[in-house]
Amino acid sequence: QRGLKRCLSEFKRQLAWVERLDVTAGRAADPDSQSAPSKGDVDPENDFQREMSFYRQAQAAVLEALPRLRKLQIPTRRPDDYFAEMAKSDQQMQKIRQKLKSKQEAMERSEKAKQLRAMRKYGKKVQTEILQRRQKEKKNMLNAVKKYQKGLSDKLDFLDEEQASSQGNKKGSANQRIKKGPNAKRRYKNQKFGFGGKKKGSKWNTKESCNDVSSFRSKVAHNKGKAGKGGKKALNKRPGKRTRQKMKNRAR
Amino acid sequence: GKWKNKERVLIFSSRGINFRTRHLMQDLRTLMPHSKADTKMDRKDQLFVINEVCEMKNCNKCIFFEAKKKQDLYMWLSNTPQGPSAKFLVQNVHTLAELKMTGNCLRGSRPLLSFDPTFDKEPHYALLKELFIQIFSTPQYHPKSQPFVDHVFTFTVTDERIWFRNYQIIEEDASLVEIGPRFVLNLIKIFQGSFGGPTLYENPHYRSPNMHRRLLRLSVAAKFREKQQVKEVQKIKKKGSKVLMEEDPTEVVFETPAEEKPVEIQLVKPESKPIVKDKKKPRKIQRKKQKKLFRTET
Repeated sequence: QRGLKRCLSEFKRQLAWVERLDVTAGRAADPDSQSAPSKGDVDPENDFQREMSFYRQAQAAVLEALPRLRKLQIPTRRPDDYFAEMAKSDQQMQKIRQKLKSKQEAMERSEKAKQLRAMRKYGKKVQTEILQRRQKEKKNMLNAVKKYQKGLSDKLDFLDEEQASSQGNKKGSANQRIKKGPNAKRRYKNQKFGFGGKKKGSKWNTKESCNDVSSFRSKVAHNKGKAGKGGKKALNKRPGKRTRQKMKNRAR
Repeated sequence: GKWKNKERVLIFSSRGINFRTRHLMQDLRTLMPHSKADTKMDRKDQLFVINEVCEMKNCNKCIFFEAKKKQDLYMWLSNTPQGPSAKFLVQNVHTLAELKMTGNCLRGSRPLLSFDPTFDKEPHYALLKELFIQIFSTPQYHPKSQPFVDHVFTFTVTDERIWFRNYQIIEEDASLVEIGPRFVLNLIKIFQGSFGGPTLYENPHYRSPNMHRRLLRLSVAAKFREKQQVKEVQKIKKKGSKVLMEEDPTEVVFETPAEEKPVEIQLVKPESKPIVKDKKKPRKIQRKKQKKLFRTET
């Protein structure tokens, strides 16, 4: 040990700090209170912790050294117009940049795919809700029609929009409240199961429907349309389901 | 300014190095403008020949890479005329060209050297620190150097080893990006002379890679041998004579032989019993294929 010290004293050269530029660092500011100030707590097996400790040591050294360098008027920042050979060639830097970009793109793509999947699920939910709502409206409309047919309500408000009809109902009921009428149980069953009567069979060949010629178009029947057979659907041909979905995805 | 600090480092290797070591050597030469290259040294020559080579090239420091068995890499750092030298085992080498090292620096810019506080605590670490400083710091006003200081070398002592990292300084607030290369040095010995001389310090924690591999193999072999021994013991146990229990004389006391019944020989077939349906028992579901065994004889 004494030999070591003697050797060191012989070997050591007294150079100005400028020549050596060495800093023995303490710790830089630790935002993480968990990492103890003593070195022994850094677990060498824990890669992240170890690398962070190196990083912090380097930071501490830099923070200490930069003011000293500035005092000695040694430049630390490279001016923008100073072009010189770098340790890594431009080609290498390009490769690195490409790699980073590709990684980022892959992540973005996976994110997008996840979002799309979530959107599709949501879209499906919304679609089912809308369909259910339409069915409910249809049911209500039919019930209202049946009510009118049965003579329960002599107003034709249901032919207007629902908002108007609901408001009208409220106003009407304020004037003539029919407290009696069907039972609560009967009313509940009416609401749930409707007013009865045949639901289907509304498109029979009745006298009226047979004599109804409103859907006859003479031009179509005698084939004197605007474009003729050739360019009928070519103008606005609706693309198929898959194509439409692809267009939608690309537009996002 | 005038270049006064005349330090020159000779960086070269022995034969039998692999691509990673070669790239590491090239990276060090790129980062240190005060270095000189030399051809590969033959293994036959002894180490003190290196001193002569250094003198021919007019260098006063040397970094020599020695590869053994195409697996282990040793690095010698030495102050050539008479100064101390140290031998290290190099592990975990990552080169400049790795794509995860995203930083870059000017070729030949002067580095800032950052040391762990541990380096001041022990005399051998202090000696190593001095060696590192003299070898790795680029002299001021060296003709090939750039005047800016834009990267920092860190030497840290963790787990009885010295870790080397190289970071680029991006901002004045000390945000850093790693440039590379990286390696880990495991100190073996420090000698008083250059590539020879009395040993000043020997690292007690150092285990040669051969020893390391041997220990691994031994442990695997030991496990296997233990399993075999356990098997042998089990075999012996199975084969061994089973100890019979002694005869207990008091056992006979409670034996009472049963009465002997007279032997009856039946000559007439017994009457068949009438079948009574037990409605309390759960009925089995009659399968179609089951034979009808009982037919009441009426």
